[in-house]
Amino acid sequence: MDMTRHRDLIAFIILVAFIPLLFKNPYYINILVFIGIYSIAATGLNLLMGYAGQISLGHAAFYAVGAYTSGILTLRYQVPFPAAAVLALAGAALLAYAIGMPCLRLRGHYLAMATLAAGEIIYIILNAAVPVTGGPSGIAGIPSLRLGPYDLDTDTGHYAVVWCLFVIVLILSRNILDSRIGRALRSLHSSEIAAGSLGVPVARIKLQVFVLSAVYAALAGVLYAHTVTFISPQTAEIMFSIQLITMVVIGGMGHLWGGVVGAAIVTVLPELLSAFHDYELVIYGCILLIMVMFLPGGLVRWVQRCIEVRMAPLMRKRS
Amino acid sequence: MNNVILEGIAIRKVFGGLIALHNVDFAVQKGSITALIGPNGAGKTTLINVISGLLRPDAGCIKLYTTVISGLPSHDIARHGIARTFQTAQIFAHMSVLENVMVGMHVRTRSGFFSAALRLPHVIREEHHIARRAAACLETVGLSNCAHQLATSLPIGSQRLLEIARALAAEPRILLLDEPAAGLNTQETRALGELILRLKAQGITIVLVEHDMELVMDVADEIIVLDFGKKIACGPPLSVQTNPDVIRVYLGQET
Repeated sequence: MDMTRHRDLIAFIILVAFIPLLFKNPYYINILVFIGIYSIAATGLNLLMGYAGQISLGHAAFYAVGAYTSGILTLRYQVPFPAAAVLALAGAALLAYAIGMPCLRLRGHYLAMATLAAGEIIYIILNAAVPVTGGPSGIAGIPSLRLGPYDLDTDTGHYAVVWCLFVIVLILSRNILDSRIGRALRSLHSSEIAAGSLGVPVARIKLQVFVLSAVYAALAGVLYAHTVTFISPQTAEIMFSIQLITMVVIGGMGHLWGGVVGAAIVTVLPELLSAFHDYELVIYGCILLIMVMFLPGGLVRWVQRCIEVRMAPLMRKRS
Repeated sequence: MNNVILEGIAIRKVFGGLIALHNVDFAVQKGSITALIGPNGAGKTTLINVISGLLRPDAGCIKLYTTVISGLPSHDIARHGIARTFQTAQIFAHMSVLENVMVGMHVRTRSGFFSAALRLPHVIREEHHIARRAAACLETVGLSNCAHQLATSLPIGSQRLLEIARALAAEPRILLLDEPAAGLNTQETRALGELILRLKAQGITIVLVEHDMELVMDVADEIIVLDFGKKIACGPPLSVQTNPDVIRVYLGQET
């Protein structure tokens, strides 16, 4: 394996491994666990939105489907966690396939509206199918993370599982982006017509990346269910879909690290701004607006550019 | 000499009340350069769009040798070896010049979603092959020195060359060029003419939509003249130049 492709990732892994040593307070570790969970979902949405240019306003639904499937299977049918998780991902993939088939023929706002509607339908089903989902009161007592004989129900256990999975998600995503499939999906962003004329099967590639991003969202949902051990239809709310989009936009659309950076900011921000809880939607709206107007490339690119500008005089001096 | 690679039979395309193509027949000889000319709105781009599968003809059919390709989606037609460029360059904006060309290799490579995600050894081998081929295509059009630039940073003339390189990466049998000289200066146009002749020498059949008559007369073996969706003349440049119908259409002479 050529390690030069993953230099940034190696640095990141070292960082992730050392952070728990800095924060002894379980509250902080817990927040980091949530950042990891959201990073997985946001990275998936970034593939779809940032790279392929397709907007989904229904990603919370896949997150919820992952959470409910794995939660119900482990709680009611005693399916061991890894198997339940795999089934949950498969379920979300099937659902995404079924939704994506008709929806992905649509473009721009129409696709956004169709995914919004699909998400709302799932939200309503979760509320209404009381015998299966527990209705609005949700499901409590979901078993925590457990891998065979290893009980991982500690803060550091959750932390390790979540961030290991995030690293895997990142490697898989980068591999795809650096392949012909990745270039094909990035080409859709600018011109579906040109992509098609070069032999890129536009509809199929769109569907593949849609399903992949849904599977990532479902994986995040699975981890959420077994971390919090309680789920409710709130996980499928449109608000969460918008939060995911905010993460991608803040972090950086079409940048591999955009998902984590965005997830970190959107997760930490409400903790800092807890006094403004009632105005959450307004604040997200404002942040989105400001980002789109002034930093359309997201924070990651902005920082990159700042560094380049600072470094430029030094580089010139050296040469 | 009857070595027809691409044949159109009674192609008809109607937009609302406008007949964009009125039962157009054409035949393209293998290894030749066929120019498609005519006044604005004559249906040249529509014909290119029909050939490349962007539009479905309302009637008639197009054959590549003996295979009927009309009605297939554009990505299938690309797989049959027909590549194209666009009147307004359709560059992939968020990608480098080299990556743009690498997209062109899509039909000539096969690694799938899962093997790509796992970056299996054959994917890595294929990636090396793609990068090499794409670099060679850039060299053909003379853009090697800006391979790693962002594609949108190129001036318009170079963007057109990039589109040609990208189409070449698909190793086409037939290359459709839709007004490649639009927006180029005389020098660039001359270089483009030389490039087109070089591609022909490599055995690529070329269909060229172009307004620049000097370029057309320099490179074309065969010219098809369209006017209001009808084919009014076809033949080698000299005979078309002296065709009274063509002169009338171009100079607006009274009949």
